[in-house]
Formats: sequence, C-alpha cells, structure tokens
Amino acid sequence: MSAQVALLIPLFPFLAFLLLIFGRRFWGEKAAAGIGIIATFASFAVTLPVLWGSLGKGQTITWSIPWFHLGEKAVFLSMRLEPVNVLMLVIVSGVSFLVHLYSYGYMRKDERFTVFYAYLTLFTFSMLGLVMSANLLQIYFFWELVGVCSFLLVGFWYFKPEAKEAARKAFVVTRIGDVGLFIAIALLYWHVGSFEVMDVKAAVLNGKLTPGIITLTAILIFVGAVGKSGQFPLHTWLPDAMEGPTPVSALIHAATMVAAGVYLVADLFFLFTASHQAMNVVAYVGGFTAIFAATIGVAQNDIKRVLAYSTVSQLGYMMLALGSTGYVAGMFHLMTHAFFKALLFLCAGAVIVSLHHEQDLRKMGGLWKTHRWLGYSFLIGCLAISGIPPFSGFFSKDEILESAYADGRTGLFIVGVLAAFFTAFYMFRLFFMVFAGQARGEKNREPVPRVMMVPILILAFMSIISGFFNTPGDRLAHWLTRTGTATISLEHAPVWISAVAIVVAAAGIFLAYAMYASERISPERVAKSVPWAYQVVYRKYYLDELYRAVLVWPLKGLGWILTGFDRFLIGGLVYLSAWIAQLVGRIGSRLQNGQAQTYVLISLIGFVILIVGLTAGRLFP
Amino acid sequence: MEHTLLDFNLRVMAPELIIVSAAALLVILELLLKESTSRNWIGWLGLLAVIAAGVSVGMEFGHPPYQILNDSYRVDSFSLAFKALLLGGGGLTILFSLAGGKNEQPKPKGEYYILLLAALLGGMMMVSSADLLALYVGLELLSLSSYILVGINKRDRHSNEAAWKYVVLGGVSSAFLLYGMSFLYGLTGATNLFAIQGKMVEMVATQDQAYIYVSLFLMMVGFGFKIATAPFHTWTPDVYQGSPTPVTIFLAVVSKAAAFALVARVLLIAYLPLVSTGAWNEIVSWLLMILAACSMIIGNTAALRQTNAKRLLAYSSIAQAGYVLVPLSTLGFVGFDLFPSLFYYLCAYLFMTAGAFAVADCIAKSCKNDQISAFAGLSRRSPWLAGVMTIFLISLAGFPVTAGFFGKFYLLTSAVGSNQAWLAAAMILTTIVSYYYYFEFIRQMYFRAPDLAAPRVSVSWAAWAVLAIGVTGTLALGLFPDLLLHELGKIDWHSAFAQAQNAIRQ
Repeated sequence: MSAQVALLIPLFPFLAFLLLIFGRRFWGEKAAAGIGIIATFASFAVTLPVLWGSLGKGQTITWSIPWFHLGEKAVFLSMRLEPVNVLMLVIVSGVSFLVHLYSYGYMRKDERFTVFYAYLTLFTFSMLGLVMSANLLQIYFFWELVGVCSFLLVGFWYFKPEAKEAARKAFVVTRIGDVGLFIAIALLYWHVGSFEVMDVKAAVLNGKLTPGIITLTAILIFVGAVGKSGQFPLHTWLPDAMEGPTPVSALIHAATMVAAGVYLVADLFFLFTASHQAMNVVAYVGGFTAIFAATIGVAQNDIKRVLAYSTVSQLGYMMLALGSTGYVAGMFHLMTHAFFKALLFLCAGAVIVSLHHEQDLRKMGGLWKTHRWLGYSFLIGCLAISGIPPFSGFFSKDEILESAYADGRTGLFIVGVLAAFFTAFYMFRLFFMVFAGQARGEKNREPVPRVMMVPILILAFMSIISGFFNTPGDRLAHWLTRTGTATISLEHAPVWISAVAIVVAAAGIFLAYAMYASERISPERVAKSVPWAYQVVYRKYYLDELYRAVLVWPLKGLGWILTGFDRFLIGGLVYLSAWIAQLVGRIGSRLQNGQAQTYVLISLIGFVILIVGLTAGRLFP
Repeated sequence: MEHTLLDFNLRVMAPELIIVSAAALLVILELLLKESTSRNWIGWLGLLAVIAAGVSVGMEFGHPPYQILNDSYRVDSFSLAFKALLLGGGGLTILFSLAGGKNEQPKPKGEYYILLLAALLGGMMMVSSADLLALYVGLELLSLSSYILVGINKRDRHSNEAAWKYVVLGGVSSAFLLYGMSFLYGLTGATNLFAIQGKMVEMVATQDQAYIYVSLFLMMVGFGFKIATAPFHTWTPDVYQGSPTPVTIFLAVVSKAAAFALVARVLLIAYLPLVSTGAWNEIVSWLLMILAACSMIIGNTAALRQTNAKRLLAYSSIAQAGYVLVPLSTLGFVGFDLFPSLFYYLCAYLFMTAGAFAVADCIAKSCKNDQISAFAGLSRRSPWLAGVMTIFLISLAGFPVTAGFFGKFYLLTSAVGSNQAWLAAAMILTTIVSYYYYFEFIRQMYFRAPDLAAPRVSVSWAAWAVLAIGVTGTLALGLFPDLLLHELGKIDWHSAFAQAQNAIRQ
C-alpha cells in the first residue's frame, strides 16, 4: 500500500468538486449526483485497503514533500496515517458517501442542485485532507476550509433570513476558536521550530518545552476545538446551523466536522497528557457541556434543534473522555456517534420530507403507522444514543463513564450519568412525539423515496454492530493505541457502572413514555410546576442574549462612536461652515467647508500627543 | 577629487532612464497628434516602457550596491526589489486604465499616462535615494503627479474634490516633512543619510536629544500621510473614493509601497545610532507600534460603518498599512531578517488590493451605483466576478489558501517573536473585526437576491487581465509561498543600510 494510493482518497472528491463547480450549468441532477456519489464511493473504496493495511499489517503510511521555506527552515506538506487517522478516514468517507446518496432524494428539484453537490464534495475533500495531515499548518488550512464549506452549506438556502444569519453566526463564532488554534500553532512553531506533529511530539516528550508553554498551547488548541465542536461557551452556533439542509446537518454538523475538534485533541493527545491543567480543562468543559446541552435538549420543539443539542452534548461526552485520559473511549464514541447521529439526522430529514417540511415536534405524531421502517430505524438510533445494550452507544458511553471513574473524576462521572438520563429522556420524547399517538398536524404524508431509505438502513445496521468493534476483546483499543499514542488500562471498571448506566437510561425512557406516549404525566403540568427552570432551559440559559450584550454591543458601540465622531464632530463642522457660507449668501461649496482643516487638525493633535507621550518621559526624567 | 556625472556607471539607472525617456518621448508625440486621434496607444507604449524598465531592474539584481550622483542616489538590492514592486503596481494600473469603456466620460488620455509614468519615476527615486534632497525631489514628483491624476476627470465633482483635498493635505504633509528635514540638517549640517548617521553617532552620546526627536516625529507625520496610517490617514477615504479607480490603485499600492521603503531607509540609516542609547526601543519602535495599532484599530472599526465600496476598501487599506508597519516596528527587537515578511506582505497586498478595487470599479461602472448594495446577487449575475472577488476578500481577511494568510502569518510571527504580545493581540482582534465588513461583501454577493433592474456587469478585457493577474498572484503566493520567499531570502537586505564600496565619502 503506497502513499500515492492513499493520496487518491481526497483527490476523488476534489476532482468531483472541480467538475461540478465549473460545469454547474452543464450537468443535470442525475449526472451531478452521480459524480458526487461515485467520487465519494471511490474514496471510501480506497480507504478500505488502507484500513486493511493498518489493521492487519500494522502499516503506517507516511508521505511528505517540501512546501515552502520559513527563513532557513523548510515546511512540508505531509501525511501520516496512524490508526486514529485511518479510523477518521473510514468514518468520513463512509458517512459522506451515504449522505451523497441520500441527498439525491432530499435535494431533488432544488434550483441549485449541482452547486449543492459541489459544496458537499468540496467539504468531503477538505475533511479528508484534515484528517490526513501531519502538519499543523496544513491542519489549519483544512480546518479553515471545512469552516468555509460549513458556512456555504448552512447558508445554502440564502433566501431564508434565518439561514443567512445562522451561516454568519457559525462562521464568526467558530472563527473565535480558530484564532486560539492559530496562536497555538504560531507559539508551537516559535518554540519547536517546526509544524510537523511528530517534531512537536518529540519536543514535548524530550522535555524541550516548558510546562507553562505546554499548558498554554494545549488550552489554546482546545479553544479551537471548542469552537469547532460546539463546546460550551462557543456552542451557540451549532443549533442555529440546523437552518442548513438536513443532509448537511447529518454530515457536517453531526458526524464529521464537529467531531474535528475531538479529533484534534486526540491527534495532539501527547500535548494534553503532558499538562494536568489542560486535561482538567478538557474534562470539565466536556462534562459541563454534556449535561448543559442535554438539559436544553429537553425543552426544544424543533426536531433538528433537539438533535443539535444532543450532538453538542455527545461531543461533550467525548471531550470528557479525552480529558479523563480515555483516549480510546473518546474515539470509540466519536465513531459510534458518527453512525447513530447521522442515522438520526437522516431519519429526521425523512420525517421532515414526509411531513412537507414541517419541523415542529408539536405538529407531528402517529408516524409509526405509516412509516414503519423509518420508525424502526429511528428507534435503533434512539436506543443507541440512550445507551441501551446491545446498541453501539451503550458500549462507547460505558467506556467513557468507566474512564471518568477510573481517572478519579467522581464528580464528572456523576454528571455523565445524569446527562445519560437526560439524553434518554429527550431522545424518547422526540421519538414518541414523532411516531406515537395520532397525527397532530399535517395529515397527508408522503412516502420516503427509496434512495433515502438505503443510507438510513445501512447506518441503522452500523449503529447496531459498531459497538462490537471494541467489545469483547478490546480490538479497537489495541489497534488505536498500537503506536503508543496513549496507554490503556485493560482492567475493566466495576460492572455496576454498566448497570447504573442502563438503569438510568431506562428511567429516562420510561419518564418520556409516561409523559409523551401514555400521557399519564402531563408535560404542561411539569413545565408549570417549575416555570423558571423551564424558561431558563427553554431560552437556552439566555446565553445568546448574554453574548449579544457582552460582545456584540460594545463592538457595535465602538463603530457608532467612531461614526459619531466622523458624523458629528467632522460633520458638525461641515454643517457649521455650510451654514456660515449660506449666511454670507454664497452657495455652500463642498470644497471650502473646513473639512480639510479638521483633517489637518487631527493629524496635528496626533503628532503632539505622540511626541509628548513618547519623549516626555525621556527628556524630563 | 571632483566627480562628474560621467564618472559613474549610469547603467545602474537604466530603469529610471527608460521611464523618463518614455515619458518625455510620449509628451512630444502627444503634441504632434491630432485632437481626434485615439490616445490608447500611448498607454500601450507606457506599458511597454514599464515592462522594459522591469526587465532592466531584473537584470541589475546580484550586483553590489552602487552609489552615484555624489552619493545621493544608490542602487542596491533593497531599492531594486522595491522598484520591481512599484513597476508591477504601475504596470497593473496602466493595464487597468487601458480598459476605458466607450460609455466613460472622455478622459484626457495622453497626459494621464505620462503623469502616471512621472509618478512612477518619483516612486523609484524615493526608494533609491540616500540623500534628503533626492528623496524629497522623488517624493514631490510622485505627489505632484498624483494630485493631477486624482483630479484627472475634470468634470467629475468627486474627483475634483478629492484632488483639492489631496493637494492641500499633501502640501501640509510635505511641510511637516520639510520641517523635520530642516531640523535634521540644522543638527548635522548634512543631507546625505550616511553623513547624518555619522554625526548622529556623536550627538546621541553628548547632546541634548530633544531636537532629534522633533525631527523624527515631524518627518513621521509626513511619512504617515503617504503611508496613510492613523492618525495621519484622514485624507485617505475621501481621496480613494473620489479618484478614478486606476489612480486609487496606484495610490494604494505604488505610493504606499514607495513610502514604506522611504521610512525604512531613513529610519534605519539616519536614526540607527539611537539603538545604542536604547532610545530606539523606547521611542522609535513604540512610535511605529502605536501608529500600527492605531491604523489597525481605526481602519478596521471605521470600515464597519461604510456603505460605499471604495470607501470601505480605503479604510481597509488604512488597516493594512498598520499591519505592514508591524515588521518595521519590531525591527529594533529582532533584527533585519524581517524584511522578507514586510516585502511578502506588500506583494500580497498589491495583488489583492488591486484586484478588489478593480472588481469594485467594474460593478460601480456597470450598475451606476458605488454602494456595497450594488454587489447584491452578484453570484448569480456574474458568478466568475463573484468568485474572483471572494478570493480577494478572503485574502484581505487573511484566510488560508491565499497570499493574505501567509502575509499575516509572517507578520504575526514577527510580532510574537519580538515579545510584543499586545501588538499581536491588536492584530488578531482587529483582524476579527475585519471579518464583519469583508463578510458584508460576501453576504451581498451570495445571500442577496439580485436586483431585477440591475444591468449585466460588463467587464472589459483589461479588467479581466488585471483580475487574472491578481487572482493568480493571490493564489500562487497562498499555495506556494516559496515562489517568492525563496527569491526574497536570496536578497541581501542588509546592504541597503551600509555605505557602498564606491562611496565618495567613506
């Protein structure tokens, strides 16, 4: 298996992108979808021998060529396929292929069908490039590129004002995280003298970096991950990003791109494990996000928003795992989550299509009777995410709870268990509101096209079996840690942890059943009995409002002040001189309105302030 | 021994001589032409002259520094590199001017190109001079030609107003500059930069230094005007907005780059002795850093509220000037190795700024609307133009895959490396602010439905040529920065700040 073959993996979608974007007038719907599907399938097909080589022969493919020089030092374009990268390649190309297939049904008759596929292939290319990179600067390149694709796809239906706003928000909020990542990369380069991940690793392991720098850079990198993976407090963009088409939500905002933050932390795990403080930050932010987003998910009424908060919460789980040195647990959950969350989103998309683009849960219901297969699939997804054995989510979530417990983070362990309760509750609330009872809104249901059902069924199958990749026998764990990325303790934590997790999940499901299926407990009564709590959760802890107050207003304020300065001070003088000019009886001429004098005055004042400010101290000590 | 003009090897002045003879020749030819004859070929000849000068600049590289005209004029790698940049900018300007569609108001074509060449010559003299007088002559040649260029559309009120303001404010800036120079002359009795340096070495050790600072700060006001750095930027939005767009490009790129070279040269030769007393780090660096920070802050925040496309880009160019000042301001902390990053950024700036202004011009002309709202729905009206503009915007904002990213990256590395964390923070924060207004263009182009009444955007072949060069440059430098960096690494920047071998006064 040579590196040249592996390089084909991102090449296929890139070629597809070029074909689609330059021929967007030329291709029909079938041809455009065909190009995208074939390209992503080809990528997926090439990842299989890579996976085989890595699994069987323990092969690590590396490749690099000089890219440019910084001073004397060369910076390389490089690739390094360790097990974690291979795992990501398989997930990304596989899910991407299924979503390309699904989109043919979902996006049909859209005016910009070809452009949609073009963006989607560009995203696949960038994401594959991201997980293959072994160079921080290159990672940053692709990191930005996936951000741009996400932006384009969230705002794909630009004619909806919410979509526009969401795209803008997604872009700006993740940029805040990216700045952190960028500073971290610059700092690492400054101290290590290389962008290569392996060089950074060697520097960390040889103790070339001071603990302070390690902690600082690790936390800054985590800031980048927080932005991308929608962790508290930068999570606000992710639920809004649901304004994008549903296949996009499934691919980008559930399975792959948002997991990039988790991947980045895992890829640079040596940096994090070298700093206790950084690990604490990761664990606590992750744990807090997990419970925080899960509680918000309880009170949302838009089917996709519930899933979005659930994604935020699950990503929090993964961060919690990584912060508790549960490297395998985190990556394991990333994988199972990619399958069941993509499944849930694709099902939600099918539900939305069959209800003529209705997204409000309160207007759904009774879909079980008409869409039995969709119901089964959705149920599998819900069981998987809730952590009911033998579905995949049970095994990976169990690993996370075990690693939190084994790491001695009892508080976070309890938080994780609580979040599992909320997860089970809101997922089954969703399930019962959509499928149980009688139809509350739209009565006329469309059947789901077959091309959309195929990916759903494949993902459902994966959601059932992917848990067994690691249990029994810890095969995934052995593979992932083969190159010494992390050490794992193969002693299993007490069995009661699994028991507690199952009981808690079952309790959540039962509560949801009681409230939304058999309706023995009225949800309204519950909401009324703790009105403040419901309000706080419903308004997502008022974070958006807070941000607007703290961040956006001062910025706008500064703009206003400077404009005010422009308008009132300078403008005032303009009006004054114009008024004088009229008084004298002359036509107000813009040429002699005193504006230029003001300009000079500003410069003069600037000059005086500068010279006095900078030299006074020296001249008059 | 007395040196005459002919004692020097005038071959080193070949680029200047080509430009000046082309300008002179074109003046005479233009006089002989009938009024009705098209003047377009004058532009072509001008472009040819610029290319020829560029080639001769290219051939000069690799020679040791050479000083002529009583040491007042020097040719070294530093000046050659900047001349190449200026000629590139000038060439793009002329190329873009060749477009001049039929619906445009009649332009006095002949003198337009001749003045452009004269301004270019002034810029080339600025970057080559080693004497306050030669430097000032170059500066005024550039300035006076630019004043007329700004107001060349005689019947356009905005153009007139811009020209008037530029003359008055430019005059003020020249006054500051001359006043500063007179102090320097009074202190040292010399106008040659190296002679001044020699005197300065004695002065910083003994005398009261107040006048040194006065001269420095006064001159910085003058330079600040030319670079358009806050708080001396006030003329920029009005003039950039009012000028014909090719002239705006010329001012934004050529005039600014020449002034940067000037600042570097004057500060690093005449005021270098301040390093030994520590005054450099305490005062000169801080002066430049404050100017840089002010420009970033004011340029970027004021741009937030603009609705006119060219005016917005003018504010953005003020901010860019702030970024470019960063390597210069941190020189005192790190050393000379930062010239490649400064020069790289200027090249990136040349491509992306010229491109962005050119797009704005095409749209303003076609839609008869110079507001940003004229960009509405561009991605559907002319997808290619929208795509091209997007590349320039993401480069201006400093995103990867474009030249702007590496430019900012190098600047940031130098700011971090000099331990001026606050400057790096200012850079990063203002860059984030800039996303908002660059985003406004993107929003208009992609997320707005086109105005049904909006006419098709017609883009002349010359504009396409400029855009193609801009995009190629932006992407090539963004993907393969080594193309340029490798060359920059070979240039001996240090030689610019030491006497040449053939100097008369050693």
